[in-house]
Amino acid sequence: MLTRGFHLADNTQTEFKPPKGVSLWQDGFRRLFRRPIAVICFAVIIFYFALAAFIYLAEIFHWQIGFTLWSQATGPSYQPPCRENIFGTDIFGFSVFRRMLYGAKTSITVALCASIISIGIGVPLGAVAGYFRGIVDEIIVWAYSTLSSIPYILLIMAFAVVLHDKTIAGFKLSGITSVYLAIGLTSWVDLCRLIRGETIKHKEREYILAAQSYGCTNSRIIFKHLLPNVFHIVIIIFSLQFVSFIHAEIILSFLGLGEADKPSWGAMINDARIELARGVWWQMVAATVAVFVISLALNVFGDALRDSLDPKLRVR
Amino acid sequence: MPEIDTLLSVENLSTHFFTQQGVVRAVQDVSFSVKKSRTFAVVGESGCGKSITALSIMRLVPEPQGKIVAGKINFSGRNLLSLSEKRMRAIRGNRIAMIFQEPMTSLNPVFTVGYQIEEAIRLHQHKSKSDARDLAIQALQQVRISDPKQRIKEYPHQMSGGMRQRVMIAMAISCKPELLIADEPTTALDVTIQAQILDLLDQLQKQSQMSVLLITHNLGIVAERAQDVAVMYASRIAELSDCKSLFDNPLHPYTQGLLKSLPRLGFTGKRLYTIPGIVPEPLRFPAGCKFHPRCPVGCNDKRCQTVEPQLRSLDNGRAVACWFAPGYERPDNPK
Repeated sequence: MLTRGFHLADNTQTEFKPPKGVSLWQDGFRRLFRRPIAVICFAVIIFYFALAAFIYLAEIFHWQIGFTLWSQATGPSYQPPCRENIFGTDIFGFSVFRRMLYGAKTSITVALCASIISIGIGVPLGAVAGYFRGIVDEIIVWAYSTLSSIPYILLIMAFAVVLHDKTIAGFKLSGITSVYLAIGLTSWVDLCRLIRGETIKHKEREYILAAQSYGCTNSRIIFKHLLPNVFHIVIIIFSLQFVSFIHAEIILSFLGLGEADKPSWGAMINDARIELARGVWWQMVAATVAVFVISLALNVFGDALRDSLDPKLRVR
Repeated sequence: MPEIDTLLSVENLSTHFFTQQGVVRAVQDVSFSVKKSRTFAVVGESGCGKSITALSIMRLVPEPQGKIVAGKINFSGRNLLSLSEKRMRAIRGNRIAMIFQEPMTSLNPVFTVGYQIEEAIRLHQHKSKSDARDLAIQALQQVRISDPKQRIKEYPHQMSGGMRQRVMIAMAISCKPELLIADEPTTALDVTIQAQILDLLDQLQKQSQMSVLLITHNLGIVAERAQDVAVMYASRIAELSDCKSLFDNPLHPYTQGLLKSLPRLGFTGKRLYTIPGIVPEPLRFPAGCKFHPRCPVGCNDKRCQTVEPQLRSLDNGRAVACWFAPGYERPDNPK
């Protein structure tokens, strides 16, 4: 017996060519890269990351390439910007330009590691809280409300002071490790809160009930079905938080809680604070420009990401 | 009539929601049984507890507020309510499958439909990826989706509501369940698609001998598709009957009112009949029979106002919960 549906389907089959399936992600990224400004910002971000990665590799393999050798005097002390040293030199005659480049490595390492920690804590906690509700939810909400009631910078500083140069389980926390641990352990709150909210919203959708009805386990539903649906938030928050992590690292270094023996933008600004009175402006300018460019690029890119990944905010 | 085996029997099921405003008795003392390879319909208006009954059978009542507080759900010899969560998961989707009202949201937007059908298959059967894919294509063929090899790579947003509902059905039947719970499967679809989907369900039922628990508020669908019917009102079953006698001779005043308010061919009156009053709020059910404030028969009766009638079986195999139903108070029936 043929149903009416079968006839209908048959009639349309000849002229119907289904377009190739495009997932929400593919669609989102296609929208994103249609905007020139987003592409430029993305290029800037990639440049910073590549630079950081290159310096990292150069350090491991001892490549003797000019711009990675920040601890070699390239001129007299406090040489103003000139041909050899674009951004002049500091008190020891080190090239400010090279220190600035090295600062990118410090900043990006810290921000990346802190992001991974913060996502690693915030996402599972938020998803579990939103999915199970009840007592689990209350405990997690209580934990992050408590954490978020302490002023952010003070909290990071407290963590950084506690963790600074400590040895935990036989593992020495060097300056930079304590910085990203401090930032990561304190900054999962926003992410957790957003993921929780979004999970609660999605949990009410019928596809979750449907997944339960065909026998999925809870962990499978959370990690396989729910997370991909809320993951755009992780990416957006990641891109926006990255900036604040870079800033946090700078603040901690500025306060002397960060990397002590290697250049970082925060330390450079701290040095420049005193030099500025003597008219040595280049160190300050170099560090500020470096921070400014990456901050701007990340912010603009983060906004563009949100516009293109959040289905409700889609702007063509 | 030959005796047909019972696949699912629900006995005195009560599901309550413990909210901040008080206890909502969403399902109270509901008993019915679904026979093998037959369609059992549950009808009632919104909020009468139909869907919660279905979710209770699947043990998917929204926690932590909702709780099954009493009753037994016997499914082919086992009480589902006493199973561990793990064993219940092995039954869900495998032996009891469910389709939902809203096809637009019941598929996960981030996966292709093929992936979702394959997942349902692979959760219950040890199949390789490519075998599961073949089975998924087969299932899509069974629900009459054209060009299933192509369609399997598509995302839910590329499909219409009717097609998504077909995909849901394909997912549900992919493991050849014995019982299919269809929770208002056609409410969100337009009328022609409704007919197609119901035809499809009918056919699949004939092919695979599965039972269907059809939850609906549409009496037309009930009359056409179901063999047995339970009419629910305010979280209780008002009347339980085979389909034909229910429409020929409704016993409960609520059922009578429902049937009276349907438009009929040749209807010439100016206005359709309506049952007076509104459905009582679940937090403030009236004392006695919950239908008595709206009942044309018992609104002034002392007993209706104070004592709630229980569902009692009558001689003719039907059951009703009304003091005034003929044969309700037989001498051998306990008071």
